[in-house]
Amino acid sequence: MTTSTHPTPSPLWRRWRKAAGRSALMWLIFLPLALIVVVPVLYMFSMAFTLEANQLKFPIEWIPSPVTTSNFVKIFVDPQLPIVRWFTNSLWIASLGTVVIIFLSTLSGYAFARLEFPGKGLLFSLLLFSLMIPAAVTLIPSFLLLRDLKLLNTYHAIWWPAAASVTGIFLMRQHFYAIPVELEDAARVDGADRFRIYWQICLPLVRGAIVALFIFSFLGLWNDLFWPLIVLSDRAALTLPVGLIVIQQGSYVQRGLAFAGAFIASVPVLVFYAFFQRKIIAGITTAGLAGR
Amino acid sequence: MTTTALPASISLSNSRRWKTLRKQLPNYLFVLPHFFFFTVFLLYPIVRGLQISLFDWKIMLKEQKYIGFANYQALLNDKMFWEVLGNTAEFMVVTVIVNVILALLVAVGLKHKFFGSDALRVLFYAPGILSVSVIGIIGIRIWDTQIGILNYFVTTLLGGPRISWLGDPGIVVSALALTTVWWSFGFPMLVFIAGLHNIPEQLYEAAKIDGAGRLGTFRHITVPLIMPTMLFVVVTQFIAHMQVFAQPYIISGGGPGNASRSASMYLYETAWKFFRFGYASSISVVMAVVMIVVTVVLFSLMRRRTEY
Repeated sequence: MTTSTHPTPSPLWRRWRKAAGRSALMWLIFLPLALIVVVPVLYMFSMAFTLEANQLKFPIEWIPSPVTTSNFVKIFVDPQLPIVRWFTNSLWIASLGTVVIIFLSTLSGYAFARLEFPGKGLLFSLLLFSLMIPAAVTLIPSFLLLRDLKLLNTYHAIWWPAAASVTGIFLMRQHFYAIPVELEDAARVDGADRFRIYWQICLPLVRGAIVALFIFSFLGLWNDLFWPLIVLSDRAALTLPVGLIVIQQGSYVQRGLAFAGAFIASVPVLVFYAFFQRKIIAGITTAGLAGR
Repeated sequence: MTTTALPASISLSNSRRWKTLRKQLPNYLFVLPHFFFFTVFLLYPIVRGLQISLFDWKIMLKEQKYIGFANYQALLNDKMFWEVLGNTAEFMVVTVIVNVILALLVAVGLKHKFFGSDALRVLFYAPGILSVSVIGIIGIRIWDTQIGILNYFVTTLLGGPRISWLGDPGIVVSALALTTVWWSFGFPMLVFIAGLHNIPEQLYEAAKIDGAGRLGTFRHITVPLIMPTMLFVVVTQFIAHMQVFAQPYIISGGGPGNASRSASMYLYETAWKFFRFGYASSISVVMAVVMIVVTVVLFSLMRRRTEY
């Protein structure tokens, strides 16, 4: 209906009307789903600015009256809830982990796509095999190891295990494969060694995949709850997701505070998402399809 | 003639092999950095986890007691373990099925551009970038009996009574699953949209010429040709959702009773609340075996279906 292979001679307004009709129909179908997606998030925003006393009101007060910042003030002044510290912890861990993952994955991915060495096939099957093993098996031994190394409650406890992840290698390997070999041959003739070829020729050509890996790794580390919950217990060492659980479950059953915390944890990623949505969607699709 | 030439050729090929090996040696530098972390935090823990599961491992003990397969034997008779495994399977099945159907239908709708279709795509993925902790905090209030969002609409729009969603053992797992769908259907949707664009447009045109309706086209062209993408989505979703932890941990606390306690949650509590690391390790090994077996079965089942 919409994809006509022949340019139709019909006047412009008729085609426009057809497109408008289709758009209206699609919106009619998708509007309920869009509302279901949006309403809970808006509810969180609203509750973050609602007085503690009004949190339990029913029917729900969708627009807080009065709009208050008292929940935020309470979090920021409470020494038991060092949310700024949690924020910087999260930022550091996610940034450090992401840089390491990108560095290791591009190096390894390049080697598996382009370089020859004895044992390459064996090593690659080992990586493939590890994909089958669910994280549950590695939790306890990794925890005990980090405890013996006295690394619990540090950034290392999170980015070291993250550096072992193999999905980035498969993503990068696939994209290094797609680079024409002639390009590298030309560089080799010009006297570039393999590290320069990797760094100066090939890396810039897989920028799209690196962006995808960056987004995936960063969001994954920023949002993760399970592993940080296991290896971080000192109040000052927590990441934001674990901190939110502390606010939610600890002696702080104040409802407004949890929503203010959720607001602080969500707004940066939502703003980031709004700005780079095109890149992020493309990146997710790239990374998602790489698994096939 | 051949007897004299042979040693020479061997030594020649040997020196050539030695030469290529020396040339290839620096290539190890590319894989070594990752391999270090991979060995320490993936390979070693897998082996170590199997080993720990054979001990009565308690964290405060200096000497751990070897007990063979006693943990596994205890696990077989552990009613709680089978219950949480059942809960997890139920959660996984509901989440994966609803996620896949919803994501595919939305992807079909968003495949061709219309006014605002890109905005909808961005919107539908948006919850996926939020932390599961945030999803949990919101989720508590979605399902709350007294002041929940859902009961707000049930009472005001439908005039019904308040429903105790999380208090009902028959509903709670589905409630957690639907919260997860809300959070995560955007990812399979994006993958499906990309997969749909890979289906040649000529096929649809040919079907139209043959007089196929929309439903027929969907059934006979879209569904079979999206199968490889479907396999990828189902397997990744299966692996992800079998390990569910945070949703029951935050939203329902595993209750009422143990009705929504998941396998990962049981593992977490066994290890980090009761410090029975040996028993917890055996839980993780059984989980892994179950997941590997199901993954292999899924692969072979769907491979057969995709061989058109």
